[in-house]
Amino acid sequence: MKYFVDVDDQQFEVEVRESRGQLHVLIDGQPVNCDYVQVDRAGQVALKVEDRSFGVSLSGTQNDYDVNIAGHRFSVVIEDERERAAHAAERAKNKGGGTVKAVMPGVIVDLVVAVGDIVETGQALLILEAMKMQNEIGAPGPGRVKRILIEAGQAVAGGAPLVELEALQEDAAE
Amino acid sequence: MFKRILVANRGEIALRVIRTAREHGIETVAIYSEADRKALHTRLAEFAIPLGGHLPSESYLDMEKVLHAAKVSGAEAIHPGYGFLAENAEFARRVKAAGLVWIGPPPDAIEKMGDKIVSRQIMEAAGVPMVPGMTEPAATAADALVASKVIGFPVMLKAAAGGGGKGIRIVQTPEELPSAFKTASGEALAGFGDGRMYVERYLTGTRHIEIQVLFDNHGNGVHLGERECSIQRRQQKLVEEAPSPVVDAACRAAMGAAALRAGAAVNYEGAGTVEFLWSNGEFFFLEMNTRLQVEHPVTEFVTGMDLVWEQLRVAYGETLGYEQDAITFSGHSIEVRLNAEDPLNGFLPSVGTIDNLRIPGGPWVRFDSGLYRNMYVGLDYDPMLAKLIVWAPDRLQAIERMRRALEELNIGGIKTSAPAAMRVLMDPGFRAGDFHTQYLEGMEMREPKGILHRVAAAATAIHRFNAARERSLSMRDAERLGWMARGRVAQTSFPHRAGDTRGFGRGEFDQ
Repeated sequence: MKYFVDVDDQQFEVEVRESRGQLHVLIDGQPVNCDYVQVDRAGQVALKVEDRSFGVSLSGTQNDYDVNIAGHRFSVVIEDERERAAHAAERAKNKGGGTVKAVMPGVIVDLVVAVGDIVETGQALLILEAMKMQNEIGAPGPGRVKRILIEAGQAVAGGAPLVELEALQEDAAE
Repeated sequence: MFKRILVANRGEIALRVIRTAREHGIETVAIYSEADRKALHTRLAEFAIPLGGHLPSESYLDMEKVLHAAKVSGAEAIHPGYGFLAENAEFARRVKAAGLVWIGPPPDAIEKMGDKIVSRQIMEAAGVPMVPGMTEPAATAADALVASKVIGFPVMLKAAAGGGGKGIRIVQTPEELPSAFKTASGEALAGFGDGRMYVERYLTGTRHIEIQVLFDNHGNGVHLGERECSIQRRQQKLVEEAPSPVVDAACRAAMGAAALRAGAAVNYEGAGTVEFLWSNGEFFFLEMNTRLQVEHPVTEFVTGMDLVWEQLRVAYGETLGYEQDAITFSGHSIEVRLNAEDPLNGFLPSVGTIDNLRIPGGPWVRFDSGLYRNMYVGLDYDPMLAKLIVWAPDRLQAIERMRRALEELNIGGIKTSAPAAMRVLMDPGFRAGDFHTQYLEGMEMREPKGILHRVAAAATAIHRFNAARERSLSMRDAERLGWMARGRVAQTSFPHRAGDTRGFGRGEFDQ
């Protein structure tokens, strides 16, 4: 199985095969000798890569993982060939649009944008208060605010949709 | 000594107090909210009194409930830890009024130090250095210039009625002042209807350095040296150390003397911390924290003293029993705070259940935490979960020891500030001791490119491959369905599987 792995924006192609109980790993086409043993079902792994040994801790689901190795943390996005094609098609369709979700449960303190506003990447959309901290939630990409699904003062659950953005029409020079 | 004390807190600081008390044969009474029935402090104290409620306001902040718990448990004294009711003068008064001993400073001292304006006046009268500035605003550029020359350049002009960054100017030289005053004053006049300006020394490269003090109630006081706390973000400290790389023996003695004057001016008793702003060899009073601090362990490591024990002794009425010259400093200690937050994502809070916990060990490594496997970390309480503290003979060895300990640490299930601390430890500026209070804000939190990226890629790919293969090989899904109502249909369509229990004792059922 071939995977496209993005580690903190660094790309790798990792191919994993198994034959006769033996693991075969190729990173960017180069065979790499890997010995992988699962320690528990909570993501602890004893991994050897060539002659180096690592204690690795993984958590995440399907496409997004957090990987801890010796005190260093990496955000990993992994896709197989089918997912890669599907996700690429989805991205092309949305072109910067999409739904911004609450990354954690909290209370909406303030709405900074209104429907119809054009926002740039990182521009603040709203302020979400959680753990006594006010957190600015920014736009993941450029777009126009299509719908606002919450109001100021409202409590939201983690993962709740907050704001819908739509792609900017490149040809519509307004 | 006390026979029984109540610890009016939770988390790592409750454990910290319980530990010292137990070592000295003092029984401890824990209090707990509904959410904390399973918490470590509840389990490790001799007695545990439920307060009910989930939110702090319904439990740890409810004075009535805490006092009631002390009464029913027969505790003689209350240790407040830090946070919650620790700096609440009213609570301290009520504890005393209830005939209990308050393990903390006098309520009056809490009140005075808690008020910015009052404390500033008292400190000035006591001869504690303050940031040079005008007490009355200047109406004209000429007045401001006269004041600036006394204060010393660079200065900051601040609108008397200001706010929100309007009407603020940094002035480097006397020549720049008239025009800067004119524009800033104009801005202030337009914005607030008041063109008068305060002039204050503008401090550059400021560091946050604090002095630990200890007073008994017989008029004796000592200082236990400084802690360097400049690695912080939004007033939240991340890495603390003792001693400070910029404080020498003479500076320590001067800061210590100033801190003791500050404490004496409010008739302080017990352990406290006087915070200073340090800038280019000068130091100025910031505020006094009238409680035990989160970062007290670095002082414990370099002085060899147990600060909680000293708190208990002086609260019981004992004299300190030693003078300033008995306090000696040895080696270097560093503390890292492990907060539930995501440094790779703007330090947003992180919630979840701790599913993995590997705690570092080895010589001179201390881990103060209330963490346990299966603990839920939510939003109701402080995100500071644990502290990792190390000691070594010198600063660079302490940095390497902390790096080693952080490499061993693994807290799974939530995101923590540990990777940010690692970035700080590996930063050349930090290693050289050259940093200030804005330093952390500007740091890149991502991992620098290296071999570990490839390892992470390989680990994730093999992990997914294995998970997919395991799912396809095991019959766990089919077996589990058989137990559920909606699975019965599936079960009947595969009658040959009835009674097939292969795979039981594996997977979901043996966790």
